[in-house]
Amino acid sequence: MKFKMGWTAPLALAGAMTLAMSSFAQERVVRIGVAMPISGPGSYFGVMDKEGMELALEQLKGGVNGTKLEVHYEDSACSPLQATNAVKRMLDQFKPHIVIGEECSDASLAIAPILNEAKVVQLNVGSVTMKLTESGYKYTFRIFPNAEQQSLPLAKVAYGVLKARTAVVLHEKTNAGNDNAEGFKKPFEAMGGKVLATIDFGRDVNDFTAIATRIASLGKVDVLPTFALEGQQVRLSQALAQAKVVKGGGGNAVQMGSIWLPYGFDQKAGQAADGYVRIVQFDPTEKRKIVQDFVKAFQAKYGADKTPTHINAHAYDSILLIAEAVRRGAKDSESIRDQFSKFKDVEVTTGRITFDPKGQTSDLSVVHFVETQKDLSWKGMSWQ
Amino acid sequence: MGDLAALIVQQSLNGVYLGCLYVMVALGLTLIYGVLNQINFAHADFVTVGAFTAFFAATRLATKVLGVPDTAAYLLSIVAAFGMGALLGLAVNAAVFAPLRERGDELRPLIATIGVSVLLENAQLALFGPIPYQFDSPFARETIRIGRIFFTGQSVLVVGVSALAIGALYAFLRFTFLGKALRAVAQDRETAGLMGINPGLLIGLTIVIASALAGMAGAMLGPVIVLSPFAGASVIVKAFAIVIIGGFGNLQGTIIAGIFVGVIEAFTVQYLGSGLIDLVVFVLLLAMLVVRPTGLIAERKEENV
Repeated sequence: MKFKMGWTAPLALAGAMTLAMSSFAQERVVRIGVAMPISGPGSYFGVMDKEGMELALEQLKGGVNGTKLEVHYEDSACSPLQATNAVKRMLDQFKPHIVIGEECSDASLAIAPILNEAKVVQLNVGSVTMKLTESGYKYTFRIFPNAEQQSLPLAKVAYGVLKARTAVVLHEKTNAGNDNAEGFKKPFEAMGGKVLATIDFGRDVNDFTAIATRIASLGKVDVLPTFALEGQQVRLSQALAQAKVVKGGGGNAVQMGSIWLPYGFDQKAGQAADGYVRIVQFDPTEKRKIVQDFVKAFQAKYGADKTPTHINAHAYDSILLIAEAVRRGAKDSESIRDQFSKFKDVEVTTGRITFDPKGQTSDLSVVHFVETQKDLSWKGMSWQ
Repeated sequence: MGDLAALIVQQSLNGVYLGCLYVMVALGLTLIYGVLNQINFAHADFVTVGAFTAFFAATRLATKVLGVPDTAAYLLSIVAAFGMGALLGLAVNAAVFAPLRERGDELRPLIATIGVSVLLENAQLALFGPIPYQFDSPFARETIRIGRIFFTGQSVLVVGVSALAIGALYAFLRFTFLGKALRAVAQDRETAGLMGINPGLLIGLTIVIASALAGMAGAMLGPVIVLSPFAGASVIVKAFAIVIIGGFGNLQGTIIAGIFVGVIEAFTVQYLGSGLIDLVVFVLLLAMLVVRPTGLIAERKEENV
């Protein structure tokens, strides 16, 4: 019996090889765990994070260079305990190469030692506490400016540009709030400014009238650096305006805010936000092509009336950065870490990423100041 | 008026306003405890439902569909939240609490309130999402200034509505047949039953009134709190503390304790720091439990509710 080999055989062989190669390619997976708040008061972070990540994954068509990016979400609820459990469960069952998370500093600090012990990369996109990248963790990276990176420019602008000599620092009672407040106070006082009071409050405080009254009784206050979540900031600004402390209410003090405050705050606070000064990292009106492409794609996917916030943008960027590491050959936790360490000016919507030896983003060239105008629009300021 | 006097008056007014908000939330809690000797862990979620009802009634239905002006829309939304609270109380009582009560078990209805709380919280999370809503009352935009003292229209409205609610509840309990029957059930359910009163019906009515008050409290709180499915949780712990300080189930005690806690909070912010509010309130609560376990107004069953 002769075995005939016609023209179909090589084709079949080639087909089989392609199939084998493609199935081999499909087997290459980088597993991305995401620990973010899906329940509890911080769950809006989770919703916005997921929107950003899903958009990035859709644009990447789920993978890079034949490597699939597989994402697994866990609810960490902005809580150290829940975040710890979520990450342990993920490490046990999903076996991620990298974990994105958490948003809240307290929860991020809780999962950092676990991930570092397991030699799994932690990519943080929303916490400010200094301790996260100052504790010697080798697998922790952060693209969100830390407390010092956010508060120092605020102090410099307050003293040098706004000529402020007195300040009242307002902050939520968390690691993030404390670090930001300290990050402002020390340099401001070192420059010669005086902090009249530091007022902290829990996340369950709703009515800020008593706090505004106290500030009004402190005499002349030039600036009010404020570090709190958006909901509380809105109520706080309104109370300060009612007490005639801030410009939005006919007073003289300038309220200053950090990067935590998402786009859209001004519309929510209304006239009380007039004159509010803050630093932003993600600015949807920024002219860079990557930013404008992101805004367009985001609005095409989620609705024309929806402008992405920095939370959406940071989450989107986290996937782009992992994709870039994979594009450069990363395939597991060690190689992702190596590639992250080699990043130099990798452009994403929130800036150009270069990690310092501690894993902290170091290029802050896109961070800039904006001032809220009477019509509640932003005016970019050239202060640094 | 001197600086210090103006400050004291201002913080006292801030405290009374805050206290009235707390009283609005605590009234329903104390009413249920007074009649049923039961704690309702779902009360915070009834408040949140009221806040969302008011939000949608004011910003969507009244202004956009009915074309009502802002101020009237917000006032209508308070009525809508009151009604929604009553309906929700009626439904939850019929579906969950009443069947469990009929089995004669005291623990199950208590646990059921936790179940209802989780259910309502997650249902609202699914319906409205976790991103906080911006609920602005037209009254909150109006600042009234008398010399150096200021307050918002919203604070006047809160104080007025709470006074109205307290007065109406007091009149209902003291002067109407149903109110007297309800007090009889609170004193002795079995004897009241022997007198021809239907305790099941009156317990149901208590839950409906308490839920309606919670709904109305939500409408008043909506423009003050960060409105999300978890909003009620931020005030409920304080409301529980007020119920305990006031004397379990005692309406007058709850009112006094609510305003007292509000004023204490305002002066804590002024002189000690806002970070110490919870510490001060709960030290007060513990002191009350140790020194006067019956609360500000000693519990006398016949005078409760």
